[in-house]
This record gives sequence, structure tokens and C-alpha cells, in this order.
Amino acid sequence: MIAVELRKLFRRPRTWAIIAVLNALPVLVAVLLVLTDLAPRPGEGPPFLSAVLTNGALYPLAALAIVLPLFLPIAVAVVAGDSVAGEAQAGTLRYLLARPAGRTRLLVAKLVAVLAFVLVTVVVVAAVGYLVGTTLFEARPGAGTSVSGTSLTAEELAVRTVLAVGYVGVSMLGVAAFALFFSTLTDSPLGATMGALAVLVTSSLLFTLDAASPIAPYLPTRYWLAFVDLFRDPILWRDITRGLALQAVYVGVLLAAAWANFTTKDVTS
Amino acid sequence: MSTVIATRGLAKQYGRVHAVDGIDLDVRAGDVYGFLGANGSGKTTTVRMLLGLVLPTRGEIDLLGERMPRAGRRVLPRVGALIESPAAYGHLSGRENLALLDAAGPGGGRRDRRRRITEVLDQVGLGGVGRRPVKAYSLGMRQRLGLAGALLRRPELLVLDEPTNGLDPQGISEIRELLLDLHRGGTTVFLSSHLLAEVEQLCSRVGVLDRGRLVLQDDLAALTAPTGATVVRTPEPGQVRAVLDGRVAAVDGERVVVRGGDPAEVNALLVRAGVPVTGLAADRPTLEEVVLAAAATSADRVERER
Amino acid sequence: MASRARAAAPRWAVVGVVVAVLAALPAIVAALPVADDPVPAAELRAAVLASADVQFSGYAESAGGLALPVTDQLDAVADLFSDRTEMRVWWRGPDDHRVDVITPAGETGIHRDARGTWTWEYERATATRAAATPLALPAPPDLLPATLGRRLLSETADAELARIGARRIAGRDALGLRATPAEPASAVRQVDVWVDRASGLTVQVVVLGETSEVPALDTRFLDLELAVPDAATTAFAPPADARLRTAEETEIVLEAGRRLVPVPFPPTVAGLPRRTLEGAPPGIGLYGRGATLLAVAPVPRRLAEGLGRTLAQSPDAVVEGTSTRIAAGPVGLMLVDPRDAEPYLLTGTVTLDALVEAAAQLPVTRAQR
Repeated sequence: MIAVELRKLFRRPRTWAIIAVLNALPVLVAVLLVLTDLAPRPGEGPPFLSAVLTNGALYPLAALAIVLPLFLPIAVAVVAGDSVAGEAQAGTLRYLLARPAGRTRLLVAKLVAVLAFVLVTVVVVAAVGYLVGTTLFEARPGAGTSVSGTSLTAEELAVRTVLAVGYVGVSMLGVAAFALFFSTLTDSPLGATMGALAVLVTSSLLFTLDAASPIAPYLPTRYWLAFVDLFRDPILWRDITRGLALQAVYVGVLLAAAWANFTTKDVTS
Repeated sequence: MSTVIATRGLAKQYGRVHAVDGIDLDVRAGDVYGFLGANGSGKTTTVRMLLGLVLPTRGEIDLLGERMPRAGRRVLPRVGALIESPAAYGHLSGRENLALLDAAGPGGGRRDRRRRITEVLDQVGLGGVGRRPVKAYSLGMRQRLGLAGALLRRPELLVLDEPTNGLDPQGISEIRELLLDLHRGGTTVFLSSHLLAEVEQLCSRVGVLDRGRLVLQDDLAALTAPTGATVVRTPEPGQVRAVLDGRVAAVDGERVVVRGGDPAEVNALLVRAGVPVTGLAADRPTLEEVVLAAAATSADRVERER
Repeated sequence: MASRARAAAPRWAVVGVVVAVLAALPAIVAALPVADDPVPAAELRAAVLASADVQFSGYAESAGGLALPVTDQLDAVADLFSDRTEMRVWWRGPDDHRVDVITPAGETGIHRDARGTWTWEYERATATRAAATPLALPAPPDLLPATLGRRLLSETADAELARIGARRIAGRDALGLRATPAEPASAVRQVDVWVDRASGLTVQVVVLGETSEVPALDTRFLDLELAVPDAATTAFAPPADARLRTAEETEIVLEAGRRLVPVPFPPTVAGLPRRTLEGAPPGIGLYGRGATLLAVAPVPRRLAEGLGRTLAQSPDAVVEGTSTRIAAGPVGLMLVDPRDAEPYLLTGTVTLDALVEAAAQLPVTRAQR
């Protein structure tokens, strides 16, 4: 079942189109950065972008930071929102369920497929970022400077980059779970995607609002930027563990809601 | 003869609308069951309930001897289905679509999958379609592909909802032959349709659904059994009335209905009296007459409530 | 066969229960009772004052409610008192600690060693060396609850202290201590200090102004671990590609103070006694103690005119003849600029009335025209 969903997802031209578009922005930013040599001022712009000018090996992180706030969640919402509602709209859902693909199994397989998409996307963005960074900028792949000003060996830098890629992937799970849940509510993939994006925009907005500070720790976007904490020395695990736990809670609750809805739903599409 | 589909008081209610209102289906092994009903009479909802897509409000369903939808995982692999229109992933070829569908559930062996797909594609007449993506298929080809999907695991029961939609006359006849062939091989066919002619040509048993209620369910042979009258065709209906006074039930142009179930006896009387007879047959009701008599009005009529 | 409604209800009930439990969890944890301990206030204060050598590491957050009307040169200081500041700290001792101010995309690390501090600014890739001075501009380490609690309590009389129960802070049982300044001039209504009873470390400080219910300053630990931090963590060696600077900000302020012509300050203004502070230039008069402090300095006329205009633009400013005064929470600021005498600047955690009273008590120096 999971293999089937993966085949469906990655044999679909649209999946790769999304990934390509996602990579276009960091590449564009890199080219502009090289042409103008204008680094963002401190405290502005995405994390790591100013550091890239001195060490291109950090560009995968800058690329992730560039797509993290908007592009990546939109891509995830599109794919996850399409997962069940898209099948319903195409009419293939009724054949899958009559096959029978168990409803719970289908839901889990869809989530795993979305997860795979997130991982592949994030890894591709990081890999393209590395290629772009090392070709366009002066790269010192041997070592790097941590956010705290200490030196990191190439090994440490690599391990932390892998962790960061993983963390960014996990951060997207909340969006994916929202989109998947909405996807079981409606037969319109667009509706599910927009629903998830509405949640996202609401969360980002509330995060900036002082009046919403009591609920800020529970907003799905609250700990997204915590991947930066992996590059402090010593690593600041506080927000990272909270971020992981929060995403786990969102995924658990929304998957349970999706399950409660989908397994008792009349499929009339 | 064992029962393949049995429902008891099956009902589905959407809000205040009774889509299906307490039906007792009885489909036996070896039947070709024609499930007739106008558009909107509840056929599709019933089919979806049989396959576990729609959950009934009330009532029970036994499919191949097991309770649905609880036993869906065991029963449904033995059932092939075509539900309303066919559906497939447009960017993949027909072959890949079948492979994905087969891999998506239990009961489809991986080892012989390629062979089974080739077989069913040949069977429905898509053997030479190659790697063309489904989005380039015609409506008829999609219908054939849908049927291929239903046949993939040699099911004991075929549940088909309007299987000849979008096919040309040759295609329809081909599919009919295919279904009859499968039936001879032991497959029970549950055919939901609004085309009387199709059902009449194919089916051995008929159920008629009217606004959510099963108004008729019997063997086709019993429904269209001789009525005990004889139909006489003659250019001189007046003479017939003169000869067989009192036995003429109805006169409609050259067609005269005469009481008495033995055409030979009627013929002998008429010939002896010198009445020209151009046609003679035992009177049987057509399926259309039976259905029209059972079902009141078309279900898409929405009449003002009085 | 179960109807759809009956099949759906228990599943949604399961989801509902899960959500309810998760939502209630923070409230339940917060409501766990904390055992109070009848430690007398004076004893608790003594424990706080003795805690300078307690070694710990942790994560602290300070939120300032002050909008200080200051100039661009002191932006960093103003931010400390008006913004939310997230800090990581490793404390091996007063001369060996590190405080990182965490920002979403970078950090500013202050590493203290025996001879001074290294300040590392990631986004500028700059390491700044500053020599240790007895007096320095307020910096993030001063806002750590542990540091601030010690400073505030060190000059508080036992009579001003009262116990205020216990609460759980950073996962530790903390005992409350409330200091209510006795001086009528004070603009600080109360200072609540919460002390970890095991170590004597202050884990939260809340400063409330005379007029507002919103704390002028609320700084607390979110995480606290009483283990000895690694020496390698607090040490700092500038990275190879960093720009190196030597700090000048403190020097500039001190130099300006030294250039001031000393004025014969009275021993008491607005009921606050004069005090000394190591390293403070003699041209500045310092008064008060604890949470109630007042600084008076003569300012050059040129500077006074610019400052006066800036202050007057603020909507809350009170302009009276040649003097301008303004309050930002418990911090008051007053510029006195008589036409025929040298101007003074008064500032501190005192009420505006006290500022007026103090200004009237200052010696008049004839303008040299």
C-alpha cells in the first residue's frame, strides 16, 4: 500500500515540477547575491544568508531558510491536500476502497507518501543549495563557524546539516497533517490545500502578535526556525525538542481526526 | 444454490431524504442479476453500500456469505466492481493503472500480476494499447479499462454499474458476449442499469428499484411468462371478433389479443373460418411493461407536494 | 450493522478526549501545588546574597515594559528594557561566565573572563574585546534573574522585605520575597524576587512600577540546571575570519562623565542620601539605594538643547518653563535648563514629583557667557 502510494506520487510529473519550482528561488537568490555582493543587514533576511558570502558550504542552510517560511509549506499543503481529495475528485478513491484498500491503511500510506515527499524535497533543496553554494561562492568545505563563534569541523558541520534537514522535514509534518485532515473532509484538493494554508497564515500572524503570546508556544509554526539552534555551540535543544513534540502532537491529533472522519465517511465521489 | 448478495431492510437516509428505503436483495450464485431503476432511484447508493463505500443507516448486507462492511477485507478481493464511471490516473498507462490497483489491496498475487494484466487487457480488447497514458484514451477505452480492473482477480462476483456507457454498438455487443462468457465460467454478475433492453438480453433475474424501494424481484422467465392469452396478427380484426366472440380481450390495429393460451387451437379456429392470420404467438409481457407497471413515475420528476 | 452516526460518534469521542487531555496538560502541570517553606525573609535574602558562586547553566527570558526615550547611540540598552530578550547562560563564577542573547537568526554571546569580556556578534561576524571596568552600561548579563536578584536585594533593608508564598519556576520550587521600597520618592512599587530554595539562586524578578499593573521588568529562568558548566563552553577564541574590535561605548560614556566639571552636590536630594559607586565619574551625583536610584549630572548646554527638543516631542512629556520631564514606567527623566545657569539632567527610578523636588535642591552654577 505504501509502495503503491510512493509510486503514484513520484511517477507524477507534477511532484517533480513542484520540487523544481521550490529550488528556483534559492538559486535565484544565490545568483543575485553573487552579482550584487549585497548581504542582508544583521537581523534582517533569512538566517545564514550573510554567512554564505564567506563560506558557500553553508548555502544549503540558507536555501532551507529561504523556502521554509512560505514555499515549502505551500508545496507540502498542495501535495498533502491532494492526497485523499484528489483521488476523490478523480474518482479513483472509490476503486481503491472497493479494491479494498483499508481506509486506515490508505490514510497512513498517504501520510507516509507525503512524508517521503517532504524528505525528498528538503534533501533536494539542500543538495541543490550545496552545489550552488560551492560553485558560486568561495567555499571552505573543510570547516565552519558556529553561530556562537566556535569552530566546527567538517564532520560536525555535516552532521548538524543532516539534523537540520531532518528537523525542517519534521516541521512540515504539522502542515501535512492539517492538509491531510482537510483532504478527508472535502472532495476538492484545492479546498484542502487552502484550508491548510489558512491555518499556516493564521499561525504566522498570531506568532507576531503580542496579544496572542499565551498561545504562541502551541502555534504550529512556532518552532520552525529552531533548526538554527543546531548551529549554536553547544546545541540549544530546548526549542528543537519542543518543536518535535509539538509536531508530533499535531500529527497525532489531526491523524486521529482524519481517521475518525474518513473511516466513517460515505464515499459518494 | 447459495446466496451471493442478500440484504435485509437495507436503508440509507441522507438527512430527511430516504435514498434507499428498506430493500431485501436476493442474488444467487450463477445469476446474471439485472438491477433496474430510473436515474436517482437509489441504484448507485445501493451498489456503494454493497461495496462498503457508503455505510447503511439501517439493515444488513451479506456479500458472498459474509457480513459487510465488516468483512470487507476478506470479501471484496473476491468481487470485481465498476462503479458509475471508470476512473484512472491520467498520466499513467492502462497497464500501470491496473498494476497499481492490483497492488493496492489484498488478494492480488505479485508474481502473476503481469500475466493477469495482459490477459484481462486482451479480454476487454485493449491488448494492443501499449504505453499510451490513460488521459489519451477515448471514453469507450476507459470503460474497457475499468472493466479490466474489475476482472483482474477473476472475481466470483462482478458488480457492474452501467458497464456499457460510452461504448458503440459493436462494443456493447462485445462486452455482452464477454459477460455471458464469464457467466458460463461461473461468475455471478450483478448488473445495475437503466437500459431495459440490455437487462432483458443479459439477465436471468431482475430487481426493480423505484424511489428507494425494491418493487419487483423475480426471475426474468417468470416475469415474462405467458399470460394465458394469444396474440393474433391479422389484416381483418373484425372477422376475428366475429369468429371468437367473447374471447377477444383487446384489439389494437392489426393486433388482437385472444384469451386462451394455446396458439394452435386459436389458429385452427381462425383458419377454419377463413380469417387471414399473418402472425400468431403466445402473449408474453415485455420487461418494459412489467417495469412500467411496477414503478409509478420517473424518479427525476419532482412533483409539487400536495 | 451499526449506523453511520453510531460508528462515527465513538471515534470522534476518542479524538475529543485526546485533544482535551493534551489541551489540559499545561494547565494541570501549572496547577500542581508547590510546598511553601516558612523561611524568614532575612534568611532568604542572605541566601540570595551568598549565591554569586553557585555554578549553573540555564535559559532565561526577560521582558521589559519600558519605552526609554533615548538616542540612537544607546539603542542596544533601550532594547534590553523594552523588548523580550532570550538568554542562554553558563555560570562558573562572577569572573567566568557566558551569556548568549538568542535571536531567531543569530546570537550575541558575551564571554566574561578575569580580565574583561569578549562579545561575539554572529550576524556581523565581529568579536569585540572590552576590558573589565567596575562600571559599565547595562548589558544582558545584568538582566539575568540571578544577577539582578542579588543586586536588588543587596541594598534592601530587612524591614522592606516580606515573604509571598511559593511557586514553580523552571521546574524548581521557588520561594517568594517582596521588597517594597521605603523611600516616598521611589517610583518602584514593589520588587518580587523568587528564590530557588535549594541553591539560593534567584529564578525570577518582577519589578512593578508605581502606576502600572504591567511589570516594568520581568525576568525569569525557563530552564535551570545546577551543574558545573564546562570551562570550554565559557571560554572564547575569536574565529579566524572574524573582525576584531575593541569596545569603546563604555569608555565614551565614562570619558564624557570625567570631562564634567564637578559640582558640589548636596548630601541629600528628594529624601535620598548621596552614595558612591566604584568607577563612577565624580561629575555625576548618585543618590538612593536598592531599587530606588537617582543620577544627576550637569550637561553641556549644546547637548541639553538637543536633548530638550527630543524629549519635548514625546507625547507624554511635561514641559514646564525651562524644564522637561518624562516617565517611562518607573524610570523618570528630567532636563532642567534655566537660561542663566548650567543645565542638569536627572534620571532614575523615582517619581516625577521627586525629580522636581531634587532639581530644586541642586546648586545653581552661573552660566559662563
